[in-house]
Amino acid sequence: MNHHFTLPNSGHHYDAKASKMGMWLFLYTELLLFGGLFLVYMVYRSLNQDAFLLASFNLNVWIGTANTVVLLTSSMTVAMSISALQKGDSKKSILLLWLTILAALIFLVVKYFEWSSKFEHGLFPGMDHFNQLPNGEKLYFNLYFFMTGLHGLHVIVGGIFIMVVVAKIKSGKVNKSRYQLLENSGLYWHLVDLIWIYLFPLFYLIH
Amino acid sequence: MTSIATQQINYLNVKKGIWSWLFTLDHKRIGLMYLYAIGAFFLVGVTLGIFMRLELFNPGRDIMEAKTYNQVFTLHGVIMIFLFIIPSIPAVFGNFFLPIMLGTDDVSLPRLNLMSWWLYIIGALFALSTLVFGGGPADTGWTFYAPYSVKTGTNVSMSVMAAFVLGFSSILTGLNFIVTIHRLRTPGMTFNKMPLFAWGLYATSWIQVLATPVIGITLLMIVVERVFGIGLFDPSMGGDPILYQHLFWIYSHPAVYIMALPAMGVVSEIIPTFSQRTIFGYKPIAYSSMAIAFVGYFVWGHHMFTSGMSGSAAIIFSILTFLVAIPTAIKVFNWLATLYKGSIDIKVPLLFALAFIFNFLIGGLTGLVVGALAVDVHVHDTYFVVGHFHYVMFGGAGFAFFGALHYWFPKMWGKMYNMTRAYVAFGFLFIGFNILYFPMLILGIMGMPRRYYDYLPQFHTLNQISTIGSWILVVGLLLMIYNLIAGYRKGPKATGNPWNGMTLEWQTDSPPPLHNFDKMPELPEGGPYNYPNAKSQ
Amino acid sequence: MKNQHSTEETHAEHITSYREHFGTWVGLILLTLMTVFISVFGADLRTITVATALFIASVKALVVAYYFMHLKYDPRIYRVLMTIVMSLFTSFLIMVILDYLTR
Repeated sequence: MNHHFTLPNSGHHYDAKASKMGMWLFLYTELLLFGGLFLVYMVYRSLNQDAFLLASFNLNVWIGTANTVVLLTSSMTVAMSISALQKGDSKKSILLLWLTILAALIFLVVKYFEWSSKFEHGLFPGMDHFNQLPNGEKLYFNLYFFMTGLHGLHVIVGGIFIMVVVAKIKSGKVNKSRYQLLENSGLYWHLVDLIWIYLFPLFYLIH
Repeated sequence: MTSIATQQINYLNVKKGIWSWLFTLDHKRIGLMYLYAIGAFFLVGVTLGIFMRLELFNPGRDIMEAKTYNQVFTLHGVIMIFLFIIPSIPAVFGNFFLPIMLGTDDVSLPRLNLMSWWLYIIGALFALSTLVFGGGPADTGWTFYAPYSVKTGTNVSMSVMAAFVLGFSSILTGLNFIVTIHRLRTPGMTFNKMPLFAWGLYATSWIQVLATPVIGITLLMIVVERVFGIGLFDPSMGGDPILYQHLFWIYSHPAVYIMALPAMGVVSEIIPTFSQRTIFGYKPIAYSSMAIAFVGYFVWGHHMFTSGMSGSAAIIFSILTFLVAIPTAIKVFNWLATLYKGSIDIKVPLLFALAFIFNFLIGGLTGLVVGALAVDVHVHDTYFVVGHFHYVMFGGAGFAFFGALHYWFPKMWGKMYNMTRAYVAFGFLFIGFNILYFPMLILGIMGMPRRYYDYLPQFHTLNQISTIGSWILVVGLLLMIYNLIAGYRKGPKATGNPWNGMTLEWQTDSPPPLHNFDKMPELPEGGPYNYPNAKSQ
Repeated sequence: MKNQHSTEETHAEHITSYREHFGTWVGLILLTLMTVFISVFGADLRTITVATALFIASVKALVVAYYFMHLKYDPRIYRVLMTIVMSLFTSFLIMVILDYLTR
């Protein structure tokens, strides 16, 4: 077999910039995915302003605020974990990532309790109390469960992504000179945070 | 050491066995796998279309019940749009040739590329599984309009999940191409020295990335409505069916530019090669691609003129729709100017490119007719629309796909097909196509509605003519396929550059080696199509 | 096939300090508390309430994007693209709501 000539612009070399670009493009798709739901929200809220306000009293502002703080903190920890790895401190990086994952778990647990209390009050689509609501309030809850549900799914995916990165830092595959994967997981995590930054006022702070 | 006279190592024979294909990271093999899958599903879609035309040969029931007819035209649309046209040129020729045209050895993200293919296969299986599972194929039309799509007992959820998965495949392909174009161009190849096919793919990829997620979430809403009974589009629960239409068309209009832009890119490659001179107006064509992509995001309401949307919004959408015709026209004028006084060689690829221009012209002009708000009230949901979109999608993008196949065939397989048979097949295709679809434009103006399984007696003759056209078309298709397969199996060896093309793929062997180039490719001076002896622009 | 040696170095090596990240966090918490207090203790001014809440949310989002997501220090094209994407989405919102407002 002849030796093969390698192009200077080969697609087979590790290219951190390509990886970063790819991740950002993927984030744009996620923004537009949730964007569709925000569009639906905007239409139905503008048509049912009073109903949305009324329905929002079923949510607890302080729990929502707590969850917001949790996610913002997790964004800080994941951002710091990148700085740590850039400085060569993989131990600190891993610790910060575990803190991020912990924050994710707290968020999900809180969400679980929030949702449970809705089920207990029969407020899920198809349940008795829900069926008796006026249409505007039904739409509020439809959107609440759909949007926070999809968001929660992304929290789980993001958490798994970060755990994968933790394993790779441990094995040395992700390190000081090759850390785009960590940065990408951070970018994904910040997206999850960004979406919540909008979900929070739209569902909890209508007044 | 292999001698040049015997079998040279190339991407086709370097590794053998099915697993070396199914799990390949080679963009050329991935392109071929797309071709075979897309080709197979295209034939399924054609068959469904033939059955539709058979049913429409006479009024009343011919070969199927009304409900079956609804399922047939739905599956026909889903297959043709999501399994054939949208992926076709980017996934087959984009994958195969974009890296080579840029002078590199693969896309930026090869594993993601393989994943795109697998997602395509999974989505296709989901779509076809509705033939057997859960209530039968959807009967809503490929547009899945609420509230019917939420209420019908047919397997809408599976069809819609298929489209969702296919959308994901499309997104990842677009993502890959954007990164590849930004990162891997050969030294000296600036954006303005890229082949126009690459520009077409670039503009397309941005649409794939930014528009597809919107239909993704919309389809998810349909599934959630069916499963959980939430009433986002159900008027009895406060929902608005028109909102579904907004969301659906925010993607599906840009989607037609996903179909058209790569096709135009192919035409922009074929025309200079068979005129043996540089393209007239490189920058206008390149930037028009971006302009079409951009304006195309803001016209979706023209699919909803009669839906109950506000009149003021409709007027705005109609005006914007007229705007998008401008960059398209610019391209057509530039192609014609390239041909003028060129050294024309009427080979089959050029015939397909010329047919594209002819068909797309009719399709585009009829698009202006439906885009005119007042006229659309008369022709919306009639056969005029069906004729219009088949002219652009099939006569345009479809023919460009066939043209690409004939243009790049020698490069991909290192063989040549029989020219005479190719000419004959083209003749059947072109004539059959026009006999099939032109009557639809007349039928629509006469008032025949679309998606109807029956029709009034005054529409009979034109329907018969149209169906006969479909038979002529099929003869052309079968002959073309036979010819290409025969060329692959027994055709004469092709040279590296049988058409005297200037873009980089013609500098390497036919078929290309595994890593595309055995030596550094040379950029033509001054631009990708600068033929040395040609008159300058 | 993949090798450690890349054609270019992996990053323009700007490392955000822990302090800067912490400062960003403080700012975000303050903005959050502000928006909550306006909502809980402020008057219900309908459209203005929505506008204020969305405005503060957007400031928070910009802060996350610029500092945590490193957009401030990235090549300009990333900020341009983000602007284009958000503008595209916003125009969808505007065009759809125009329909509902003029029915």
